[in-house]
Amino acid sequence: MTKKMIEVRQATKEYAGGTRALDGVSLDILQGEWVAIMGPSGSGKTTLLNLLSCLDRPTSGTVGIDGADVTRLAANQMAQFRREKVGLVFQQFHLVPYLTALENVMLAQYFHSMPDADEARHALEEVGLGARLHHLPSHLSGGEQQRVCIARALINQPQVILADEPTGNLDEANEEIVLDLFRNMHAQGHTLVVVTHDPTVSAMADRTIRLEHGRVVEPGEAMTAMPTGAPRVLQQA
Amino acid sequence: MLIRILWRSLERRKARILLAVLAVALGAALATALLAISLDITDKMGKELKAFGANIVAAPKDRPLAVEIAGMRYSNGETAYLNESDLPKLKTIFWRNNIVGFAPFLSGAVEVSSSLATQRVLLVGTWFDKDIPVPTAKRQILLPGNAVREVTPDSGTFTTGMKSIASWWHVEGTWINDRSPEQGVLVGRALAQQLQVHVGDPLQVTYQERGYPMTVAGILSTGGVEDHQVLGELATAQKIFDLPGKVERVQISALVKPDDALALRAKRDPKSLPPEDFVTWYCSPYIDAVTFQVEEVLPGSEARPIRQIAEAEGAFLSRIGLTLALVTIIALAVSALGVMATMTATVMERRTEVGLMKALGGQDLQIAVQFMLEATAFGLLGGVLGYAAGLGLAALIGQSVFASSLTFNPLILPITLGIAVAIAVLGSLAPVRQAMQVNPVVTLRGE
Repeated sequence: MTKKMIEVRQATKEYAGGTRALDGVSLDILQGEWVAIMGPSGSGKTTLLNLLSCLDRPTSGTVGIDGADVTRLAANQMAQFRREKVGLVFQQFHLVPYLTALENVMLAQYFHSMPDADEARHALEEVGLGARLHHLPSHLSGGEQQRVCIARALINQPQVILADEPTGNLDEANEEIVLDLFRNMHAQGHTLVVVTHDPTVSAMADRTIRLEHGRVVEPGEAMTAMPTGAPRVLQQA
Repeated sequence: MLIRILWRSLERRKARILLAVLAVALGAALATALLAISLDITDKMGKELKAFGANIVAAPKDRPLAVEIAGMRYSNGETAYLNESDLPKLKTIFWRNNIVGFAPFLSGAVEVSSSLATQRVLLVGTWFDKDIPVPTAKRQILLPGNAVREVTPDSGTFTTGMKSIASWWHVEGTWINDRSPEQGVLVGRALAQQLQVHVGDPLQVTYQERGYPMTVAGILSTGGVEDHQVLGELATAQKIFDLPGKVERVQISALVKPDDALALRAKRDPKSLPPEDFVTWYCSPYIDAVTFQVEEVLPGSEARPIRQIAEAEGAFLSRIGLTLALVTIIALAVSALGVMATMTATVMERRTEVGLMKALGGQDLQIAVQFMLEATAFGLLGGVLGYAAGLGLAALIGQSVFASSLTFNPLILPITLGIAVAIAVLGSLAPVRQAMQVNPVVTLRGE
């Protein structure tokens, strides 16, 4: 039987002012599984992702990753957990503007252990940027920047890849390239959690978890929320 | 990698860095100037004191107040002089072997003309490099309590003069040699510039409408009043001022030991000491004991330590030093604030970057080290710039305030760099703490 990689129990996150971004969320994600998280803006998707990536702690409840309860970790242990277990892909790419593509990947190596230029070059070649190693982010297209971000997320062989709207800022052609990379990661056995608005992205996942008002909507339960663009509750963190 | 990040970050944000570097450079420049001046002045004073040994000046007791107006000397009494013929007796005092040199002076205002200009200046007659015969007769010194000390002077000659007691004097050309009767004079550097004379040029000295042709034997640099004077042999001055065999004061260089409790007790009046103590005092080379013995052999003289003058100068210099120190401290504080402003702006600008580093698993310490390295880098850069500017400033102050060029102590560079880095790091502490508090959840938020 495949082991559980992520195990969330009754996770609740409240922000100052009483806004409840997550309200008793429980979910399991298996090792090697590709899960899409969908839901309208303000439904708590990003908050959930922050908990899974050890960037934030729940107000109550537990978050288990690879068998460890990360809510009990001290700040520096959380940092250690992040660099060893988790690879992050951002909608805004978040590359360091004054470092080249290669150096941005090496930065993750630096925080993890030791920078290794050959390994970093290989990772960029894997995402098709072998010719762009020494370009600054400002000289790369959005798709290319996202691929640098993916190479950076993969460089330390994390068990879990967490992506927040990875195709949100890309055109169709680049979206296709990036999704191909996700397919590869999935094929290689990485556990993937992808927050998305995009039905094409979620369709590729093994399973889709829907959030609404900070709760998981069980399959078959009626969706009361509206699709993107409709009025929504502004409470996303 | 750390260095790579550092280099890239500096390379790509030149304008911002420049501000911080300039802030550090400002403080470092003043610190350098202060150090250069205070170290050099202390050094010079030390050298001067050493060169003099402990300086003693002997002049006629009850010397009447004399004023010179328009070349005429007015005084409220008969001007008193010491006799040149008494001077060799200085080598017969109890501490004669501690007298390393002495030189008499006789001066007066004269008119000096070159082919291009005329100046009213002080002509000073002295010994430069003179052989004097040492009296050979035994001398008995009677001390209180029936103590007697007998002095057997060394026979032969003693060579002395300014050349041996003012070793820091610098002569371009030749020193005057008192052994051959040449009418050469030394002209102070500043005066030589005014008169536009060089070594070997003729010079006319006029006193009370009588002219004396002279030759410039050398240009003298002392950093003192001599730079504005004409110096000739004592005999020349005695001839010009018509005072044969007379001197107005004597500078004596003696080796002395620092004052201790006994010397301090003797300060009020050595004669009030109990006889045994007086003998001990007399037979110890305290400066006051030596001046006491000088007065014994030079009739009608009063000898006192020049140290008092040095001390007054020292007090003046330390006051200047204090002012400079205050200005420097303020400048350093301003520099630190400048660094703080720049670093705060930098941290604000780079919140996302800091958030990202944290999200990638960077420890607070690693990120702090990154920023501190940057601070150190522009601390060093600012330090080097400030050092260069500070040396220029010190040279300027040295020229305009002390009228002498400074020699720079090699210690100043490392000290300045240390101060500059300290300012940069101190100024960065608060901004870096701010960086530590960056919450990646907030700074990396998607929309």
